[in-house]
Amino acid sequence: MSPVVTVTDLTKRYGGVTALDGVSFSLAENRIYGLLGRNGAGKTTLMQILTAQNFATSGDVAVFGQHPYENERVLSRISFIKESQTYPSALRVHHVLRAASLVHPCWDEELAQQLVDDFRLPPRRNVRKLSRGMLSSLGIIVGLASRAPLTFFDEPYLGLDAVARQIFYDRLLADYTEHPRTIVLSTHLIDEVSDLIEHVLLIDRGRLLLDVEAEALRGQVLTVAGPVAAVDEFTRTGAELHRVLLGGAARATVRGDFGPTDHDRARALGLTLEASSLQDTVVRLTTATNGAAPATVGATSKEAVR
Amino acid sequence: MNRALTVARLQFVAWPLVVGWPWGILASSFLINLAIFASIGDADPEPTTGGLASIYIVMFIACVNVIIQEFPFAMGLGMSRRSFYLGSLLHFVGQAIVYAGVLHLLSVVEKATGGWGLDLTFFGLPFLLVENPVLRYLAFAIPFLLLGFLGFAIALVFKRWGINGMLTLSTAAFVGIGGLAALTTWRGWWPAIGGWFADQSGGALLVGWPALLALPLAAVSYLIIRRATP
Repeated sequence: MSPVVTVTDLTKRYGGVTALDGVSFSLAENRIYGLLGRNGAGKTTLMQILTAQNFATSGDVAVFGQHPYENERVLSRISFIKESQTYPSALRVHHVLRAASLVHPCWDEELAQQLVDDFRLPPRRNVRKLSRGMLSSLGIIVGLASRAPLTFFDEPYLGLDAVARQIFYDRLLADYTEHPRTIVLSTHLIDEVSDLIEHVLLIDRGRLLLDVEAEALRGQVLTVAGPVAAVDEFTRTGAELHRVLLGGAARATVRGDFGPTDHDRARALGLTLEASSLQDTVVRLTTATNGAAPATVGATSKEAVR
Repeated sequence: MNRALTVARLQFVAWPLVVGWPWGILASSFLINLAIFASIGDADPEPTTGGLASIYIVMFIACVNVIIQEFPFAMGLGMSRRSFYLGSLLHFVGQAIVYAGVLHLLSVVEKATGGWGLDLTFFGLPFLLVENPVLRYLAFAIPFLLLGFLGFAIALVFKRWGINGMLTLSTAAFVGIGGLAALTTWRGWWPAIGGWFADQSGGALLVGWPALLALPLAAVSYLIIRRATP
């Protein structure tokens, strides 16, 4: 099966700033990807280039096998929901939904109406008078109801309360199960979506740090705690990302290709051991000293660290 | 082409406002003129107003607005630049064709009613030189296109190159026009230029030359939008 998106050595420079630096990866069909990274890491730029809204400095992108620029066949199969989307000032909520229904061939009006109710969006209100959260839910409704084979959500939750965010995650998962498609979710609220994400792409300073199955990553990064000597002994088998010292005790985050024998070893050393959450993993990886990522990686992960 | 039609429809989803602004402003301008000239009586035996210009100005602003507001929205929904441009052209030219027809009709009514009973010239063209009915219709339609395409082009310069692009464009226009004016004065060409304008027929001034200017503007706009980002 050919990938939905293929990115090869993609670089984007704005004047002296390098937003993307030799990024390569591919996205498979019908999966949920988490595009993670700090502010300014290059996530939005990447999605803008994939949707032909921005231009690459060098490198190649292929979406559904073709370049997306001025390509109706490709663009009509994409939905890109971004936090910064603006709307013509004359439009009301129902106008925006009508416009989106004209554009997206797989639009589901029933779903859109149901989501309007779920998010309690006033259909006749002018878009300029919507609160930040309401504007976000309008974007989410367009993104879900468009049922585009490739859907990007770029931090779609700004200003949304916890209940509305949960509605978004639930609806996304329910609709994805019924109508599988490729979804790229760019977010800062990593813990909230960690159960949703099947594959993790982590960008930092324009470089791809991680391209790995979420399941595989879960076992790869562990937090061990115990006496310093024992922690030292254990961390030798992996790459240490972070350490906190408390008197004679240490707590370290380690990345490596761990298996059951390592767990037994930790217990034998008298260490408590737990799998790091996705959020912890991302934080540790993006703040690890001078970005030096560990050399030991699992067979399922690829590294683009230089 | 299908997607271009979609863009044209996209810009009509809030159609009461699209149609309402130009005609609402023209109507209020007309009513005010009617009221003024009815109340001042015979001060001016055959008054001519410039009120017709209002609809052309509104349409110019509407075209600027299409680039500033509709372009990022349509791109956000996944339109190509080509479809957006063709659709916007379609949307605008369609309006120009219909609006010019209505204006032409109103100018006929104006003539038939003796200037609304006041000898008022509101819809009638200031140049009575255009006698041919087709040419008269075009004299209403083509200025829409010239102003509209000018609106697209200027707004696209802003969209693509930002405020620096606008300043460069203004500087270039200022230096260019100012330089030509200086040259004309220095060489004493003003009478010749005035004579040239006086020699032009109404058809050439309202139809021929505007059409000749509108076409390159449309072409340049297309080249600019090809690399514009929303």
